[in-house]
Amino acid sequence: MQVITGADLKKMFSVAAQVLSDQKDRVNALNVFPVPDGDTGTNMALTLKSAIRELDNLKSDDISKVAAAIARGSLMGARGNSGVILSQFFRGFSDGLAKLKTANGKELAFAFQQASKTTYKAVMKPVEGTMLTVGRAIAEASIKAVEQQELRPDQVWEIGLNAGKTALANTPNILPVLKEAGVVDAGGEGLIVALEGAYRCLIGEIDYTLDEIVVQDGIDQEVISRIKGELKNKYCTEFIIKGNNLNVNQIRKKLEPKGDSLLVVGESDLIKIHIHTDGPGQILDICTKLGDLTDIKIDNMQLQSETISQAAGNIVTFPTDKIANTPVDEPKEIGIVAVVPGQGLAEIFLSLGVDKIIPGGQTMNPSTEELIQAVEEVNADSVIILPNNKNVIFSAEQVKEFVDKKVEVIRCKTIPQGIAALIGFGNHMDFEQNVNAMKEGMEHIHSGEITYAVRSTKAGELNIEEQDFIGLADGKIVAAGQSLNQVGMQVLASLVKESSSLISIYFGDNIITDEAEAFSTLVKEKYKECEVELYSGGQPLYYYILSVE
Amino acid sequence: MTRIHVVTDSGSDLPKEVREKYNIHVVPLTIQFGEDIYVDGIELSAKAFYQALKEALVLPSTCQPSPADFVKCYESISKPGEHIISVHLSSELSGTYQSAVLASTMLEDRHIHVLDSKSASIGIGLVTLAVAEAVQNGASVEDAVKEGERVIEEIEVFFVVDTLEYLRRNGRIGAASAIVGSLLNIKPVLTLKDGIVTPHDKIRGKSRALKEISDIFKRYLTAHPNRKVRIGITHADSISEANIIRDELISDFDMKDILIEYIGATIGVHVGPGTVALLWYPL
Repeated sequence: MQVITGADLKKMFSVAAQVLSDQKDRVNALNVFPVPDGDTGTNMALTLKSAIRELDNLKSDDISKVAAAIARGSLMGARGNSGVILSQFFRGFSDGLAKLKTANGKELAFAFQQASKTTYKAVMKPVEGTMLTVGRAIAEASIKAVEQQELRPDQVWEIGLNAGKTALANTPNILPVLKEAGVVDAGGEGLIVALEGAYRCLIGEIDYTLDEIVVQDGIDQEVISRIKGELKNKYCTEFIIKGNNLNVNQIRKKLEPKGDSLLVVGESDLIKIHIHTDGPGQILDICTKLGDLTDIKIDNMQLQSETISQAAGNIVTFPTDKIANTPVDEPKEIGIVAVVPGQGLAEIFLSLGVDKIIPGGQTMNPSTEELIQAVEEVNADSVIILPNNKNVIFSAEQVKEFVDKKVEVIRCKTIPQGIAALIGFGNHMDFEQNVNAMKEGMEHIHSGEITYAVRSTKAGELNIEEQDFIGLADGKIVAAGQSLNQVGMQVLASLVKESSSLISIYFGDNIITDEAEAFSTLVKEKYKECEVELYSGGQPLYYYILSVE
Repeated sequence: MTRIHVVTDSGSDLPKEVREKYNIHVVPLTIQFGEDIYVDGIELSAKAFYQALKEALVLPSTCQPSPADFVKCYESISKPGEHIISVHLSSELSGTYQSAVLASTMLEDRHIHVLDSKSASIGIGLVTLAVAEAVQNGASVEDAVKEGERVIEEIEVFFVVDTLEYLRRNGRIGAASAIVGSLLNIKPVLTLKDGIVTPHDKIRGKSRALKEISDIFKRYLTAHPNRKVRIGITHADSISEANIIRDELISDFDMKDILIEYIGATIGVHVGPGTVALLWYPL
């Protein structure tokens, strides 16, 4: 074999996608933190899947065209930081093969070199001991090899791959967090898995099959089953009361015990009610006595979410009409798009003025394409994106390249930061003022998260057993143990300062209201000088998201 | 020297001792609960009002005094040829000022000076107090009016409401209408600009909002280090929160004479229970 053709590359990438998809769980497990949202494997597999989808419509067998299609597809489907970096690797790889019909060993080495360079350019602060390092080792080894002698492309690929494997094995020696957790870098592993799959196809060890490559999209089965499960307060009930001198406070008090996510807004002659309840009839009974009811809308959220998860199969969509893919709203000057997990949190974000919610976050990083779609759908020329997750920021930044709108990403890494930023938003300010106010708004907030350990490990002084509750304070593991409340209190202890005055608790879908209230009472007793607010966040996997300000 | 009488309305929330000490007359607004009508401050105390508000299924409304109410007051307190300075609720928030102006044109034998305080609650009260003090110190009517106008110009008002619903339903929300309701417990911090309710900030949690109000005041003092100020704090049935602000100011600035008073029914109807306000002007 003297050259790789476009047809070869198509097969190689299809196999790479298949192999990565098969091994994604193993890659997911290589998480520095033993938290259940390790998703590097899933993100990279989905990114690659999106890349090869682009090949379906490609007529040409030129290697430059094939590589360009892969670059484009992966860019659109990029999820999470690792997915974005992978897409940049392919982008550089494609640049390196520009205008070629086929590639020889030297040309392939050049493509690897361009691939690595592009990844470094894409990251603002490159960190060594990651996928970047692995990619660079591949590039350097192959360039060095072709400078010394003439090599076939499969030889170059093998040399590059072996150098990459060595670099991967060395990542724990470069990044101490990897060593402490006893893992190699997950993104680097993903890259090696993909390139090895491609190599084994190239040398004929794995044949390309026409089988559809199935990757479970973004969310694990647990999340889907939870959404399908029994929902409390399953009827989303909305209507308007028209009357005279309506007392909003009294009405709210009356309805409060009947459900959750209650919203009573309006004026004395016109009030809009929104509530999730198990007794919509009861709610209507109460309100018919107060005035005329109009625009009544009752949705069964359970059936909705079942239909959605069956039909779409891919994306968890929240059963609220304002969330994603809705018809065009009134034009606005500034639109806001937010990535939010959990129905309760989604409703909080909507009530604070967000126009589009992209369901996702910890375990389900949205693709650049989903973010682009949401930004396009907002009826505003300027759009602010709230990623609310450190692993979404990068793909959100990519959106700027694809849309004609003015886009700014507020780099909020947690839900509490996103909420604090939103509170800074005001309609009376222009785009730049709002962006600044939002950035300023999230400066003084501290975030806590309580989840469970997916494996036993050590974090600093802490010995963590699999299934232990673990608590993170501003991104660092500070507590682990068998008692959820105790871990929660330990997290708060490291977040609450003398100047703190407000503690917010957003409980997840794995916590029942009684449990959350008991925890909240505990917090109130301990921090008497603080106000404590409890909200149903409905987020998966994270028992509590906490904020202290 | 001709006598000068000082009049205000029941929106001024001045305590009885102060009114008596400076001989300030009050023309009350009326409060309507369904079919029942009460004269503010006379038939309905602030405490009784908030109790009634808690139990009311239909929210109350206010009614401004008629020009005739003012004529009656002006005639009863003064003789022909005397001066009256009448200080009232922001004309952007109430027709009370308009009624007083009409009344002044109906009584040609008295010299009546009607001032638009562009404020509410103890804000009106502090303007009235400044005028009454000047009068008691022997100022001419021109100087007393000038002092009133100076205070109107310089007074600062910041307040936090538990909910914007009261301001909204009564059409007093002004520029704060831009603040939307949300599922979170967000407290709007508001101010009055030219007599109109205007948003200053929105803050999660009442105690943090209260702290912001005292911080605004502290920033003012830092910016005007050599000025003495008179401070008023008013609250809609929320004395403990009013005390939080007072304690904060006392501990930092050693200010003993802080006027703390209930927001009476006239203003209470429009801002709702839980409202706390901090007002001050430089002496």
